[in-house]
Amino acid sequence: MKIKLRLFRYNPETDTKPHYKTYEVEADKKEKVLDLLHRVKWEQDGTLAFRRSCAHGICGSCAMTVNGENMLTCEALIGNLKKQHTITIDPLPSLPVIKDLIVNMDTFYQKYTVIKPYLINNNPPPPTERLQSMQEQRLIDESTWCIMCGACSTSCPSNWSNPDFLGPAALLKAYRFIFDSRDDGAGERLNILDHSDGVWRCRTIFNCVEACPKEIDVTFHLSQLKKAIVTREI
Amino acid sequence: MYEKSPTNEWISNVVRYRKFSGSWAWLLHRITGLGLTVYVLVHINTLASLQEGPEAFNAKMQVFMQPHWLFAAWILFGLVIYHTLNGIRIVIIDFGRGAKYHKQLLYGAIAVGLVVFLWMGYIIFFGHSDHDFLSYAVSFFS
Repeated sequence: MKIKLRLFRYNPETDTKPHYKTYEVEADKKEKVLDLLHRVKWEQDGTLAFRRSCAHGICGSCAMTVNGENMLTCEALIGNLKKQHTITIDPLPSLPVIKDLIVNMDTFYQKYTVIKPYLINNNPPPPTERLQSMQEQRLIDESTWCIMCGACSTSCPSNWSNPDFLGPAALLKAYRFIFDSRDDGAGERLNILDHSDGVWRCRTIFNCVEACPKEIDVTFHLSQLKKAIVTREI
Repeated sequence: MYEKSPTNEWISNVVRYRKFSGSWAWLLHRITGLGLTVYVLVHINTLASLQEGPEAFNAKMQVFMQPHWLFAAWILFGLVIYHTLNGIRIVIIDFGRGAKYHKQLLYGAIAVGLVVFLWMGYIIFFGHSDHDFLSYAVSFFS
């Protein structure tokens, strides 16, 4: 089938404003949106810039807005898209655009550092490893699936209206350590989250859950953080 | 680097990004919330006429008994019932395990809200022979 690919284009050296450029490509329904981008870059217009690495839904670099919805282009089958004959691709919303479909993710990563994304445990490490029971592991398992692609945080209306909001990705990472039986930093992390730009700015819109390519129920994890904050001992 | 102004970007994102059931629930919650805020102003304005005595207040109430105002009251009830039921849904999501079945909660809230909304429409427009909603409501709740 013939597909019209409408791509967001912006070259900082020549353009003052971004524009859309349409390319026509031949594609099969079983192909991925990333294949179309490759076809354009390799066969039609080498100036097109976009990020991708593994192309198998693991590295998280090819997250973009396809037909108005954040997803990994390497996981997006053309046959699964609602609108297939014209596919519009934008860079992730609410982040500054460096070139074409590449966004500057500095603020996205800075928000991770705020919630201390590392093990806090002042006890001397045991001779082997810090053991967990299966139940303890199950509690944090889903939150460890995150590949930090940014699809959730940039799909969040709370984040669009307030760029200071930590966002679902950083909050999910906070959950991953707060509920980790080996970690002792829950108290200090909950203090950081208990803020108007912390977990309370989550308005349970569920865009993050719809956008997550790893199908993590982000809002559920955030609700557990809210519960942990209101039920903790002072 | 290209960066839109945050306000422009926020509005265009809300308009352009694909809406799922959760986004509609949130948008409707905000819109009904704004509607209720406007209603509170009208409500205070009406109550303020009490300072001028019962006649002034009754005169205002007579205005609200006109059919198009009754229709407005019915729509207002719609805003109240959606905002209330979705509010309960949000509490269940935030402090229960509602995030696991937020879509079912929304559909449930809409179903219950629609039934109560239609029921209230019947009470407002057909519930009493002389269409006197206030006296009907008073007798209903007493």
